[in-house]
This record gives sequence, structure tokens and C-alpha cells, in this order.
Amino acid sequence: MSLAVPAVRRGADVPFWLPLLAGLPLVLCMAVMALPELGRGRAVDFRVLYALTYLVWIVPMAAAQRGLRRRGVSWWLAIPALLALSYAMSLANNALGELLAIRLGALPRFEWKFLFQQLDSCWLALITFAAVHAVVDHYAALQAERERVREIAAQARDAELRALRYQLQPHFLFNTLNAISTLVAEHRNPEANRMLARLGDLLRATLDSGEAHEVSLAEELALAGHYLDIEQVRLGERLQLDLRIGPEVLQAAVPPLLLQPLLENAIRHGIALRLAPGRVALTVARDGAMLRLSLHNDGVPAVPDAADDEARPAAIGLRNVRERLARLYGEAQRFEFTLADDGGCAIDIALPCRNLAAFVPAPA
Amino acid sequence: MTLRVLVVDDEPLARGGVRARLATQPDVQVIGECADGESALAAMGTQRPDLVFIDVQMPGLNGLDALERLPPTERPLAILLTAHAQFALRAFAAHALDYLLKPIDDERFADALDRARQALALRRPDASASRVAPVYASRFEVRLGQRVQLVDAAQIDWVEAQGDYAGLHAGGRLHLLREPLHRLAARLDPAQFARIHRSAIVRLDRVAELQALSNRDSLLRLHDGTPLRASRTYVDALRAALLAVGTPA
Repeated sequence: MSLAVPAVRRGADVPFWLPLLAGLPLVLCMAVMALPELGRGRAVDFRVLYALTYLVWIVPMAAAQRGLRRRGVSWWLAIPALLALSYAMSLANNALGELLAIRLGALPRFEWKFLFQQLDSCWLALITFAAVHAVVDHYAALQAERERVREIAAQARDAELRALRYQLQPHFLFNTLNAISTLVAEHRNPEANRMLARLGDLLRATLDSGEAHEVSLAEELALAGHYLDIEQVRLGERLQLDLRIGPEVLQAAVPPLLLQPLLENAIRHGIALRLAPGRVALTVARDGAMLRLSLHNDGVPAVPDAADDEARPAAIGLRNVRERLARLYGEAQRFEFTLADDGGCAIDIALPCRNLAAFVPAPA
Repeated sequence: MTLRVLVVDDEPLARGGVRARLATQPDVQVIGECADGESALAAMGTQRPDLVFIDVQMPGLNGLDALERLPPTERPLAILLTAHAQFALRAFAAHALDYLLKPIDDERFADALDRARQALALRRPDASASRVAPVYASRFEVRLGQRVQLVDAAQIDWVEAQGDYAGLHAGGRLHLLREPLHRLAARLDPAQFARIHRSAIVRLDRVAELQALSNRDSLLRLHDGTPLRASRTYVDALRAALLAVGTPA
């Protein structure tokens, strides 16, 4: 068994039959080479013998080559070994040929010197087979390597997406804890309790959600609803929500925590700064092959000497969403952010509309 | 009808939270508390509670195991307490009535308790079946300053609780009705309206889509695009009502 030396193996073993199959066309080459000899006495008989023995010899050849590779024997040892082996096989072949000739009456007796003549038809074929085998092995190793590179890239992307998702939590967490502490200080117990429950829901959704990089829009809307409940406790009448969801999109796949950071941005940096009530409008609808999300919120006119936009905490949430969309969908997505003079802010997102496999509740 | 309740959690503060919420319910009597699965198993055997609030993760025998040790006919109604939603599926396999996630949400708590009351009423059939056919309201008076406006029940898309008021959503407008939701609920025709969670009622023919969520809640989409969350406590009844109304769900 090869269990002792797995470290030397490059890539997965190819199935034993695969190089044998790849070596079969060589029999066709032999047949083509035999064509000019058609009708010249017994020549075809010998060609058939060589072809049949070739088919037999490639089995031990393949076994030997596989064994050498599994043991990690380097090529400068393996090549002479395989040459010697195939040479021995060719000699055996010639011996068989001579026996056939004696049997057919073409040769009176066994001649040792004939044993070393005209080895080409058999030896060259076996050498070619060894080369074919090597190419098959090399190709398999290359495929395995490509697969490995793909896996590494996927893992790196996973890690990046996870990190981006975790980046969102502390920001939101401290704001909510502060709001709860205010409610407790004001003895508003039922509201404090409700907010704690919603915070639990949000943390569960982010920490407990597993490794999935996509959830259904329905789950994401429910999660956004938990967040909006919290903000509604804080802001009351000042927050006017208008959510409109188009038909047949509840099962569409979206990145988890797509809506929450966008809504948080709209509320904290739009509505919360206003004295008058403000509106946050979200529409999600299918547009051909794309899922379109647009979010609009009222705001306050920007102060001319405002701090660098990218440094604002809100920008973290927006940048985070933009980066995750780019990682997940590449060129197939679009993210547009427009800030009007009156402080109103619009975000338009388009991503490929694809249904997530339906969630099936387990039988109770 | 009194509910005899046993509270099981290894943390005293967690038991206190359940007890404090139960104390506001006049028909509930807490008959005992246990701090682990073994004593809960013993108490369920000897005291025969109607309902048990039981923590899933406890040292030694956990809450689900304790329940499963009892033969199904001797099991009390159970509401599981857990921090992680993944226990939900096993909870339903053990025929638990409901589960509550920590930190406990007051509305969910009240929903679960209602469900226990209903289940218990089914277990103890009594003679209160014959009732006077109730009269349902067909329009509501909404005050806007000095003006009084009438809102037809048929115009209402959905209703949400807003403190002591009920917010009537009708054709994209919100009307505030000075009446708590639970009282309004009794005045709405159950053939046309259904509760979807503690603080929301929906008009059945306004529901366009219903999508199940992984925590057994559902998300509804109304014809006007409004998304609404439906608590798992009400989802089964809602589905049945939707089918009766003949709306595609």
C-alpha cells in the first residue's frame, strides 16, 4: 500500500484504467504501420502478435509506473528503470515471436541473435505508452493543483466576507446598548425589554447564522425589521417607514446584513439629525435578471466643512456593503450612492436575482 | 381555569425573569421551581404541572432529555428556553409547544402562554361551547383634531398596536384609533382578519405572499408591497384562514 508516503504524491492518483485507455490508440498506430505489409506472407500474423502482447504488457507497465510514482522515485531513476523493464518485455516478445515462427514453420530453430533484432515495433510502443502514462499523470496533478488554488481562493474570499460581516457588529452594538441603558434609567422597562429581545435577535442572526454568504430576502427583511423596531422605539414619530417589496422576490438570495447597515446609515445620518419627521423608503423588486434595491431617506443639508466623508462611521457600513457585493458578485452588481443638496440620500443596488433553495421546515 | 406551571432553569435570575412575567397573569399558579433536569423530571412526575418552562442547556440532564424521559402521555405542555435557535428543530421533535429565545421578549412570552391556554382548553373540553354569535364592527370612528372620519373595515389593510392606540393602515394612510389592539381584535371579523403577531392584525385578502423563515416565523407580503413579520405562534391559524378565504398564499 502507498499509505506510508502520501506526502510525496502530487495530487490525486488517476484511476488505474485511465492510462490504459489512453494507451489503446497506439494499437491503431500499429495497425496503420502494418498496412504496407498486408499480403506479404506471415508479416501480419507477427504484427497481430505484437499488438496483442502490447495490450498485455501495458498492464504491468502501468503498475510499475504507478508504483514508482507512488514511492516518489525521481525521474532520473524512474526513466532508466522503465526503459529496462520495457526492454525486457520486448525481448520476451521477440522470444514469443520466434516460437510463433517455429510453430508456423518459418524458422527451423530458436536463434538467440534474432532476440535482439527489430525490437522497435514492441519497445517503441511500450516507451510511447510510458510517455502517455506520464502525460496523464501530469495532467491529473495539474488539475488537482488548479482545484487546490481554487479552494484557497474560495477560503480567502470566505474569510474576507466573514471579517467584513463581523466589522458591522460593534458599531451597532454600542449604540443599542446605550439606548437600552437610557430606557433603564428612565424606568421604561417594557421598552428596554423589547429592545433587549431585538438585540438578541440581531446578535443571533450575525453570530449564529453559520457560514452562509447568502440568505433569502425574507430572512434579511425580518432581520431589518428587528433593527427598525429598535430605532422606532428610539425615534417614535420622527421615523416614518415605507417599505415596498415587489412580487416573487422573497426567496431571492442576498448577502446577510445587506439592509441593516444601509438602514442604519439612513436613520443615524439622515432621520436622527432632523427636527421634523423624516421618511425612509425602501423598495425591492425584480427587474429582468436583476434584483433592484433602492433606499431613499430625508436628511439635513450638509455642513460645508464636514469631516472627510470616508472617515464617518456611516461610511464604514456603506463601504462594507459595497465591498461584500463586489466580492460576491464581481462585475454583475451595481452600487450607487447619491447625496442631494438637501441632505436626502439615495442608494441604488442591483445584483443578480437568483432564488435561494426554499427553506423546508423539518416535520414536527 | 388555572394553569399550574413549573419553572426549570439552572440560573436563578433566569427563573426570576419567567416568574416575574408569570406574576402578571391572574390565571397562572407557579407550583415550583427546579434548577436541574433530574429534579425537574421528579417534579413533573409527582406534581403533574400543566405547563413547564424549561431551559434547554443545563448541567447534567438537559431540558429536552428530561422531557423525553417521560412517556408522551405524562408530559406536561412544554415551552423551552434557549439562547440558540438551532435547538428549535429538536424542540418541535420533542413536541414542545413553543420555544422562547433569551433574552426573553415579552410579546413572545405572552404569545406562548396564550398558546398553552388554547392547548389546555383542548385537553380539558368544557361546556362553554355555546356562545352568543358576536357582532363585528364594519366601520371605525377616527378623530383627527375636531374632525371625525369613518374608516370602513373593508378599507383596512392591516392594523398595528401603537401603545394604547391601534394604527389602522388603509390605502397607504395611517389612522389612529383610540382603542388597544387586543380589544379591537375582538371586534374584527375572524373570517376577514387574522392576528399575525402580538401587535399586528392583517386583512386576509390583502396578503399576497407568505414565506417561511428558518426560525419558523414567516414573512408576509401584502398586495401593496408592505412586508410584515408573522410570529410562529399564529402562522398555522393564519395559513388555515388564508386557505379558507381563497387567497393564493
